[in-house]
Amino acid sequence: MDITWGASVNEIAWGGIIAFYLFLAGIAGGAFLTASLTELFSKKQYPNVIRSGAYIAPVTIIIGLGLLVVDLGRPLTFWKLLLNVNFGSVMSIGVFIISAFSALAVVYAYLVWSAAAAKKQIKLASADEKLTALPEVVATSESQGLQVLRKPVAILGALFSVGTATYTGFLLSAVTTSNFWHTPLLGIEAIPFLPILFLVSATSTGIAATLIGAGNSRDLTSYKKIDMVLIILELVLISVLYLSVDPIFFTGSMALPFWFGVVAIGLVLPLLLSIYSIMKHKNVILPVSGLVIIGGLCLRYFVVYTGQLFR
Amino acid sequence: MIINLAKCIGCQACTVACKFQNNVPDGQYRTKTPSSALKGTYPNVSQYFIKEACQMCQNAPCVSVCPTKASHYNEDGVVLVDVDKCVGCKYCMTACPYDARFLNKATGAVEKCTFCYELKVSKGEKPACVSTCVGGALIFGDLNDPASEASQFLAKHKGEARKPELGTHPDVYYIYEGVVK
Repeated sequence: MDITWGASVNEIAWGGIIAFYLFLAGIAGGAFLTASLTELFSKKQYPNVIRSGAYIAPVTIIIGLGLLVVDLGRPLTFWKLLLNVNFGSVMSIGVFIISAFSALAVVYAYLVWSAAAAKKQIKLASADEKLTALPEVVATSESQGLQVLRKPVAILGALFSVGTATYTGFLLSAVTTSNFWHTPLLGIEAIPFLPILFLVSATSTGIAATLIGAGNSRDLTSYKKIDMVLIILELVLISVLYLSVDPIFFTGSMALPFWFGVVAIGLVLPLLLSIYSIMKHKNVILPVSGLVIIGGLCLRYFVVYTGQLFR
Repeated sequence: MIINLAKCIGCQACTVACKFQNNVPDGQYRTKTPSSALKGTYPNVSQYFIKEACQMCQNAPCVSVCPTKASHYNEDGVVLVDVDKCVGCKYCMTACPYDARFLNKATGAVEKCTFCYELKVSKGEKPACVSTCVGGALIFGDLNDPASEASQFLAKHKGEARKPELGTHPDVYYIYEGVVK
């Protein structure tokens, strides 16, 4: 661009990497929430769901943090974020929320994994009667001791996963100079819109990822129903958003990611498929979950870009 | 700083002086002075140049979002970036409504106009852009001091801040007298 005569264009500070990070943090939060709430509140046993969610959370959050660090202008100085704290900055607070969440996600995944491994060993041992499995019994009792931590970690982690999912919204909504990011819910200045939208989307994509990981081992109807409710809720939120901000945010290069990615692929299509599956008793977990996840990524991409392109 | 647009001839001496003074990487600018869109038909054709740089907000969004306090106010209320503390997260760049900030290609830290604080102003001199300005369009001084040249000038002319609706309260004022907006 010619700096004297060229029209000045809004520069994009945060691009696709940040959008992908916000998306992964959402999946991590949602997956952890799915696993921990299942463990804490479900009467039915869903071991595959718990395992899937517990493993997805640390993997996605760690990849996400890696992307975040790579996107820094000075990746090797990321540790300064831990030393120089500004409590007035949402990002600074978020560093600690996400660090705590990552640690809890890793611990929880380890506890779930070690319990599952111990179970397997007991099975193996009892199958082979001659092997009295002395070392295994010792190992089992040791990890059993750690299992005392599992519930507290699940509870604390559930809180921090909600914190992580909403944080990704607060990060953007705190930018008061961006009309789009700073949009309040229904014009109520005290309630920012994005944290709510991102929490719903995070839970929805987190459940979707967890269901894909869980495979079709058991009847997952209740999860499908929850995801459907979340899709409808998100559709309502997106409609509210569409009506409460300047239409320019959905135009130009943002029209395709919004209408095709967020609305069609991410919401309408999976909703129709879910309704169809309930009516016809067909199993469509994989396509529905896949579409929800792609839609979640499109949502982060759309929000991150449009808030910077038009201001 | 006061920018008297009617006196700016778009010569870019400020752009060049800034690059000399501050060793800004190629293709990046702490200040630039692009033209406005050419408007109107003969005989009422108008065009002017508008100097862009950090607006030195009193309520700076870059300072409040910065996670490491690298963006800060110094003792004179000038918004500065502590390069040692900056990790290059670019949060401030998303928050700045004036596009005044960029990621320095050489250091990876965020950078912007400093009013030449360390190199000039703290020694009692004027910023490089001001002292080089050919048309005399730039006036620099302490707006808290009613006797300063800047305060005196602003008292007589109507200064406008950019994007006042955002509540950032810039300390850089533009005077549109004599130009067609």
